[in-house]
Amino acid sequence: MSIEVTGLNKKFGDFVALDDVNVTIPTGQLTALLGPSGGGKSTLLRIIAGLEKSDTGTVTIEGVDATDLPAQKRNVGFVFQHYAVFKHMTVAKNVAFGLEIRKRPKDEIEHRVQELLKLVHLSQFSHRLPSQLSGGQRQRMALARALAVEPSVLLLDEPFGALDAKVRKELRDWLRRLHDDVHVTTVFVTHDQEEALEVADEIVVINEGRVEQVGTPDQLYDEPANDFVMSFLGEVTHFGGVSLRPHDIELETSPKLAGSVEGTVHRLVRIGFEVRLTVLTVDGDEVAVVVTRAHARALQLREGSTVWLTPAAGATVVPRMAAAV
Amino acid sequence: MTSTEIAAVRPARTPRRSGPRSTLTRSSGLGLGIAMIWFSALVLIPLAAVVVTAVDGGWDVFWSTVTNGQTAAAIRLTVLTAVGVTAVNVVMGPLIAWVLVRDRFWGKSVLEVMIDIPFALPTVVAGLVLLSLYGQDSPLGVDVANTRMAVFLAFLFVTLPFVVRMVQPVLEELDRDVEEAAASLGASRFTTFRRIVLPSLAPAIAAGAALSFARGVSEYGSLVLLSGNLPFKTEVTSVRILSSIENDNVPAAAAVATVLLAISLAVIVLLDVIQRRVAARG
Amino acid sequence: MADTLVHAVPDPAPVEEHRRAPRVRRTPTTYVLRFVATAYLFLLVAWPVSLVVVNTFDDGFGSIGSLLADPDMVVALQLSAYVAVWSVVINTLFGVGISLLLVRYEFPGKRLLNALLDIPLSVSPIVVGLALVLVYGGRNGWFGPTLAGWGFQVIFSTPGIIMATTFVALPLMIREIVPVLEEVGIEQEQAAESLGASAAQRFWRITLPSIKWGIVYGVVLTLARSLGEFGAVKVVSGNVLGQTRTATLAVEEKYLNFDPQGAYATAFLLAMVSVACIVVVAIIRPKNHA
Repeated sequence: MSIEVTGLNKKFGDFVALDDVNVTIPTGQLTALLGPSGGGKSTLLRIIAGLEKSDTGTVTIEGVDATDLPAQKRNVGFVFQHYAVFKHMTVAKNVAFGLEIRKRPKDEIEHRVQELLKLVHLSQFSHRLPSQLSGGQRQRMALARALAVEPSVLLLDEPFGALDAKVRKELRDWLRRLHDDVHVTTVFVTHDQEEALEVADEIVVINEGRVEQVGTPDQLYDEPANDFVMSFLGEVTHFGGVSLRPHDIELETSPKLAGSVEGTVHRLVRIGFEVRLTVLTVDGDEVAVVVTRAHARALQLREGSTVWLTPAAGATVVPRMAAAV
Repeated sequence: MTSTEIAAVRPARTPRRSGPRSTLTRSSGLGLGIAMIWFSALVLIPLAAVVVTAVDGGWDVFWSTVTNGQTAAAIRLTVLTAVGVTAVNVVMGPLIAWVLVRDRFWGKSVLEVMIDIPFALPTVVAGLVLLSLYGQDSPLGVDVANTRMAVFLAFLFVTLPFVVRMVQPVLEELDRDVEEAAASLGASRFTTFRRIVLPSLAPAIAAGAALSFARGVSEYGSLVLLSGNLPFKTEVTSVRILSSIENDNVPAAAAVATVLLAISLAVIVLLDVIQRRVAARG
Repeated sequence: MADTLVHAVPDPAPVEEHRRAPRVRRTPTTYVLRFVATAYLFLLVAWPVSLVVVNTFDDGFGSIGSLLADPDMVVALQLSAYVAVWSVVINTLFGVGISLLLVRYEFPGKRLLNALLDIPLSVSPIVVGLALVLVYGGRNGWFGPTLAGWGFQVIFSTPGIIMATTFVALPLMIREIVPVLEEVGIEQEQAAESLGASAAQRFWRITLPSIKWGIVYGVVLTLARSLGEFGAVKVVSGNVLGQTRTATLAVEEKYLNFDPQGAYATAFLLAMVSVACIVVVAIIRPKNHA
């Protein structure tokens, strides 16, 4: 196991950022720390990197107790949301920084820098200053800089958060492929569930300073541990005291299935190939249901239609929490 | 998938990093200690010595020294002139800043350099400079040397940069869209200036005015050659203190100096309040 | 890797949003304001300063020449330069250190210290001199007699002049560096730390280059202020000809001794240095550090 975090607590003043966090991050995997803003995931990442000190608890990296080790001795690569480029150094100098600190021979540094710049497609920019690069290019440079020192783990704090949607998506695909090539244990923080589901091998969901669930993207999506995880990873509706996905509700115009609940279509919106319905049930629930356009047409649905709803067989269902959103 | 919206609904509490807690490490604590020893030895202890010496003889002695005719006249002249000069700066400072930021014309960069000259010029040289145009041999035929006008002029010269340099960056940062929005809502240029621009500049003007007042009150160097230091007429507080020192009347010097210190401290407190107010506004 | 990002090569995309060129709406008001500002500055600064230059060269380079031929004057100029250099060195070390502490750390009393550091800006130079005499005066000062017992004379001697000069110029460096440090932020240092740089390496390789222009500007301002200090030096120096008389003291002395030509020449030299400082900084300072 590459990173082991046990019993971590961290407070900023009265604000509890981390509350008894225990996580194990497997070697060679791409792990996402996913959760809402202010939930403590960045704090956890910074504690792993040694940029923040925990109040209690231990951090072990590659079997070495790193709890009291300063950041400079942890051999982690860290990539910041806002790039943290060294503004007064050229791209090549930025990437070479860690190697120069380690007093590697000059020709080795040069060779390694060229190799890395090629990897991140910035070879032709090596003599430019960071201010002459776009945001996406700067972040790739920052990644090369972090990789240059051959870190035992690579930590990325909302690495694509400051980029626009298109570049973000490109970099996301590229990070996944890069990881498949380089295989360094990587942890990245994101609040974007789509990003986590698409890129990560494993996801740690963190909310209000606590770990809600750890698992593969499929596990989290199909077997969410609670209402929070479920709602954070996709659309959720509440029906008959449980939470479930809107597309996991069967809809008929007659009570064919046992246990179905009667309701009236209150609103009907067509979005591309799917149709979104808001159904008011006789039990007083307001349920969101998604059906295909063909299905809706076959049933001749319109606002005011009477329908019967049933949770689909095998649907992901969790009990509804009173406090849930 | 819209669950990111859920994240937005939750109160996004950002970790508070500030607080009364110390984040000093051992080496930075040591650095702070050394810095404080130096700062105390150079500034704090000497200034405390002024106050201690002033109150040594008791309140009555202090009061009679400060209200002594010649001293009181010097303090009155200094404060009133500083107030008058500050008033001029409050008008001229933003005006000059406005011209420097919003206007474009040949030679503007020369004006830019001129603003800094009073700050960089040795004060005694400043006195000499003004004397060359407004003294005995004035090519203008205006001889104000050894009059109260000379004191006013000297203060005006040395305090020139303060309001301009405080207002200028704020004016540069000012979002012109807001002014255009005001105009689109039917405000005249004057109304836009008064209701939109002026309130944004007010803290900077206030800070600059405070600095310029403090500088005026404490001015010495530019006056020695210009004002003649005539008792009851053109003698300012600093000159009064110096003559007490030269007459070996240190308690009297300290008493008057304490009055100046009190004014300086009031200005510092005012500046701090303004800065916090601005920081809170974001 | 068939990478879409390879296509992203030609985009120069500098992030700094292009500042819109100021739209100048010329109305009669514009011209009135321009005229008022220019006239004001001309009468208050430009004309008087130029007259000093003219007066200095009334008889060619003679007055400057005779000034530099006067050994006492040379000593005065040297003393001014010596004191200014010390003041710059001390205030740079102190200013960089205290600015780092103020921006990067939290500690009790920080707000008070921050405000106190501005005091020298608004204290009369005469009060500064008096304060130093009261503490370091050789006869009656709080510490003076003790220091004199160790053979260290402060007042009426060079150390006193250096202290007085350092006092009045103290906030200038801090006021330049603090905003720069705040703007630079801490992330670059943290990035360097995660790349293995020690505290000293972070300071020399990251922090110092980032605040370089702030320091340069601070040095120039401190130098100009130190060269020009007059009142505080007058109180602490004793103004002994050829020993503790600085160039600014000499200006007054010469003028009062009916040697206006000498006074103008000395003033010209001092003004030259100050104006040169400003102009040099205005030219070399990168625009984005305005």
